[in-house]
Formats: sequence, C-alpha cells, structure tokens
Amino acid sequence: MGLREYIVRRIFQLLVTYWAFLTIIFVLFRVAPGDPTSMFVMDGLTGEQREREIARLGLDQPLHVQYVEYITQLLSGNFGTSFRYSEPVWDVLVVKFWNTILLMGTALIVAYILGITFGALLGWYRGKKVEKVGIVAGLVARSSPEFWTGIVLLSIFAFWLGWFPSGGMRSVGAEIGSFGERYFSADFVYHMVLPVLAGAIYYMATPLLLMRNTMMDILKADFIEVKKAEGLPERRILYRHAARNSILPIVTVAAIVSGTAIGGSLIIETVFNWPGMGREMIESVTYNDYPMAMGTFFLMGSVVIFMNFIADLAYVYLDPRVQYD
Amino acid sequence: MTLLELDDLKTYYRTEDGWVQAADGINLELDENETLGLVGESGSGKTTVAKSLIKLLPDNAEIVDGEIRYKGADLTDLSMREIRNRIRWKEISMVPQNAMNGFDPVYTVGNQIVEAIQVHEPETSDAEAWGRARDLFDELGLDEDRVDDYPHQFSGGMAQRAMIALALAVKPSLILADEPTTALDVVIQDRILRTIEELQDEFDTAMIMITHDMSVVSESCDTIAVMYGGRLVEYADADTIIKNPRHPYTLGLRNAFPDITADDQELISIPGTPPDVVDPDEGCRFAPRCPFAEEECWEETPEPREFDDGHIVECHRADEAPLLREEAARKETWQQVAETEEPAQSPAGGASDD
Repeated sequence: MGLREYIVRRIFQLLVTYWAFLTIIFVLFRVAPGDPTSMFVMDGLTGEQREREIARLGLDQPLHVQYVEYITQLLSGNFGTSFRYSEPVWDVLVVKFWNTILLMGTALIVAYILGITFGALLGWYRGKKVEKVGIVAGLVARSSPEFWTGIVLLSIFAFWLGWFPSGGMRSVGAEIGSFGERYFSADFVYHMVLPVLAGAIYYMATPLLLMRNTMMDILKADFIEVKKAEGLPERRILYRHAARNSILPIVTVAAIVSGTAIGGSLIIETVFNWPGMGREMIESVTYNDYPMAMGTFFLMGSVVIFMNFIADLAYVYLDPRVQYD
Repeated sequence: MTLLELDDLKTYYRTEDGWVQAADGINLELDENETLGLVGESGSGKTTVAKSLIKLLPDNAEIVDGEIRYKGADLTDLSMREIRNRIRWKEISMVPQNAMNGFDPVYTVGNQIVEAIQVHEPETSDAEAWGRARDLFDELGLDEDRVDDYPHQFSGGMAQRAMIALALAVKPSLILADEPTTALDVVIQDRILRTIEELQDEFDTAMIMITHDMSVVSESCDTIAVMYGGRLVEYADADTIIKNPRHPYTLGLRNAFPDITADDQELISIPGTPPDVVDPDEGCRFAPRCPFAEEECWEETPEPREFDDGHIVECHRADEAPLLREEAARKETWQQVAETEEPAQSPAGGASDD
C-alpha cells in the first residue's frame, strides 16, 4: 500500500487541478475584452460577414455548449487553427515549446547547480567574509529584474565586447534541419549563452539563499556533531550530510521556481528575441489570435502543474521519512 | 596502564561579557578499560571537558592552558587535521545523548557505520565493511538485517544500541558517552548500561560517562569526578564518592536521587541555580548555594586537598565531613539556604551573577 496509494492520490489531485485550470482558461477568455473578429477588421468585414464569422467560430452558441465543445476538443488534442499562421496551433506550439524548454530548462539547471553549491558553502562559512559577499551578490541578483540583467549582459557581451550575438536562436541563413541538428549545433549553443546566463543569474538567488538558511539549521543538528566526531573530512560532512539534508525544501521550491521561470520566459525571450512560447504568448494576445493564446496558456500551465507533481514524487525519494498520507 | 591524563586543563569560552571558565584547572586520570563518571548539573562544564579531548568545541572556545596526555602524546599540541585523522573515532569516539538525532536521517544506519569504517580504514572493501556493520549489530543484540533500516525506523533504545555499534566501529580505546541513557526509560536504561559494560570488556575500551544522574554512575563507574561551575570539586573511586563524600555539593547531589534500598526517604534538592562563570571572583563557586559556607569560603578559592588514597576534595571544610554528612541529610539545612540565599548573606563579590 503506502507508496502506491500516495501516488494514486496525487494523480487524482492532479486531474482535479487540471480540470480547474482548464475551466479558468475558458472563463478568462470569455470575459476578456476584445473580439476575435477584430483580427479580420482590416479586411473590412461588413456586419453580415462578421456575423457569419462569429457563427463559423461557434461563438453564437450558449456558453455551456461552448464549454463542453472546448473540453471535448482539448481532450482530443485539437487546439484549433491559429488565425495568424493559418496553421494548426499545436504544430506551431510544439516547435516554440521546445525552444522555451531548452532555454529555460538549461537556465534552471545551471541556476540550481550553482545556487545549491554556493548556498551550501555560504551556510558552512557562516559569519566569514565569503558569506557576506555571497549574500549581497545573491540579493542583488534576486532583486534585479530579468530584463535589466538581460540588457546589462547584452550591452557588455554583445554590443561592447561583441563575444555573443544580440538575439535570435540561430545565425541568419543557418539551415534548419532535424530536431537534433536544430538544437545540438554549436550555433544554437552560441546563441543560447546570454539568455541562459540572464535566466541563471536571476533564478540562482532563490536556491542560493534558501540553501544557506536550511544549511544553518541543519548544521546545528546533533548528527553533524557526531559526523565531526567521527573524523569525517569537512567536505564530506558539508556535501554528503549537511547539503544532502538541506536540499529537501529546495526541491519543493524547485517546482514553484520552474513555474515562475516558465512565466519569466516571456521577458527573457522578448529581450533576446528568442522564438519561444513566452514571446508567442505575448504576440498572440496582441494580435487577438485566440486559439494560439489559449494554446500557450494551456501549455505553460500544464508545465507548472506537472512540475509540482514531479516535486511531490521526488520528495518521497529524497526524504525516507515522508509519510504517504 | 594510564590511558589519559588531564593536567590542569582550562577550556574557556570567549563571550561579549568576558571569558566563561567552563573547565577551569581539571586534573583527571583514566586507565585503560576504566570507566569514569563525570557528574554535575547542566552547565557544570562536564561536556566541555569531554569535548576538549577531541577538540569538538564551538568556534569561540579555546583550550587556554593545560595538557591532555593521551597514550603519551599531548593532544593539545596536535593540529585539527591530526586530531581528525588520528584521534577522532579511531582513538576516541562518542555516543551522543539522543541517538535518534545522532544519525543522519537520510541514510541507513548501516550506511553510516560503513562510512565511518571506510573513512578511517580506506582499504576496507564494501563487502567487508558491511559485514563488520552486521557483526556489530549482532554484538549489540540487534537484528543484523536492520542495518538496512533508516534511523527513524528504530525505537529509542534500539537507536542507542545502533549508536553504540557506530561508536565501536573502528575499535576506539576510549568512548565519550554523553548522557547515553537519559532519553530512555529505566528498564531499557539498565539493559543498555549492562550491554555497555560487557562490550567494554570485550573491546577493551575505556569510557567517560557524562551524566547528572547519580544512580547511573554509582552502578557503572569505577571512578567518579564531580564538577561544579567549571571546577572539579570532588574526585575519587565510585565507592568513596557514594559512601563517604566530603564535598557539600556531592552531598546535595546524592540527596536529590532516590536510593531504592532505603525506605521512607525524602528527596532533597539543592536550592539555587548553577553559577555564571564569566570571569568569576575569588572564593568557592559553590558558596552561594552551600549551607555550610563560612567567611573563608567567600573570600578564598579552595585548593584541592587529598584525603586517604587519592580522594581529592576542593572544599575548605572537607575535613569536617562526618559532621557535614549528618547535617546535609536534613532538609532544613538546605531550606535555610533557600530562604536566605538572596543578598543578605552574600557579601559583596560573593556571587558572580550580578
């Protein structure tokens, strides 16, 4: 029982959350100002044509019918056709989705590796000069908005030193081939450096400061003294015991940070002209491309919900004391 | 053979108010395979003395004077690295007060025993180290398969046994046991103490048992050292301390614990609180709480005096012991201190906590 029951229950909670999330998107787009047909206004629709358009989109139906239709279509994987691209939303989104996941995923991994390592060190060197410098650096990184960090990086490394490109995902004229070629090329990595750095600097602060705080508590624990008495080398106590125990709360926060990072992709992708989901969301909302906007909302929300689910499961693995109830 | 000898050990803590003299001029001797009970209230300095041996002290602590002679070498001369590699666990290991919190919760107990073995004996293979961990469990009366359990899966008594297994992992010559049984109920306490005694003979290990519980030391210690306010106030073999104590503080401690053999016994507590030992003034540190304190006690720090056969007492009135013993058994004697404890009787400069 135990573990399996816990996972089943978590899956059930996941489904309920998902349903609530889908309903909120639906309501959000019905109450939002603006009109899908305004997308075609430039073509000079007459009143009659406009009504025909609304009927074609099914917007003349009562709300509950629209809602049922919406859920049915989503469940069958049909996200509709983008007004702007005249292509299925899903086809456009898949590409953008991977662009974002690779960018923000890399940024988060870098942020977590650095944040946890340095955070553990800061906790260990409590009261020393290193700690003070580290905390100030962490706070500065955390309080600087992402777009500002991005602009600073751009002006130093792109405009002044000219080491990295100022934006985009690949050089002009680069061949777009298969999935592998697209993402595992030197050109792609080269374009990715600055936006990843901007994200990593911003998202590093949370695990860094949190790690330091939990480290300070863990270092007061009795078992740390026993490990010292055992004559274990300091680095072993620091990483194998103290940091390993301090990592638990970081895992929970990782899910939340991943969520904000997915949201943060809006800003980083705009600053670095990165063709990802975040930028697509802003553009589709600006152009009243409703199917596309709903698609991006749906996908981003899904990532956040899924990350929370993963965090709960990871916690069971990391902390053997977790009770499955 | 003498294993350990403390010579005028002084371990002080630096604080904003001045030096806290947590261990002030401690002289002790411990033979191989001997068990020494270090007794005193919380804050008496007993833990400081024990932790000075392996330099497991907070950052603001300093061994300001004295020698710790262990197997012929002075431990105060060794660097942190030498202490860590050669002394800690390999020579002197430790059993903490609460075994449950003494284990890292995220690794199995076996894993932690194996870690200790392999850090000190890097040539040991995984299979061999795990085999030794299982043997130790067996030795302590635990099911061998429980090496794969996490600390939280053990009961308090079993965790304490597992902790003793960990302490014996690399066969130290000395174990520091800090209140090893305080967190356990009396029946388990008794069994653990007996197990410790058996293993001590088997592994040929000496022990310093830190406790405030007179009944524990009387049962399992060869010699007893009583500490008060950072000073060693009385030191003798267990029998002498239990039957013929000379220091008023020891008399008071004995009163505070029940003797099962005596019927109709009333427990008497020592009034007052342990002294604050930040840069203390001259005079006996126990004087403010002592029912027998005289003018001399307030003004002059007593020197340790030896009575027949190595019985060391640090008290001006130690030679009046038979009289004091009689008086100390009466509750009124101690009550009178409680009533008049406040300034009236304390001449200026007597108590350090002002």
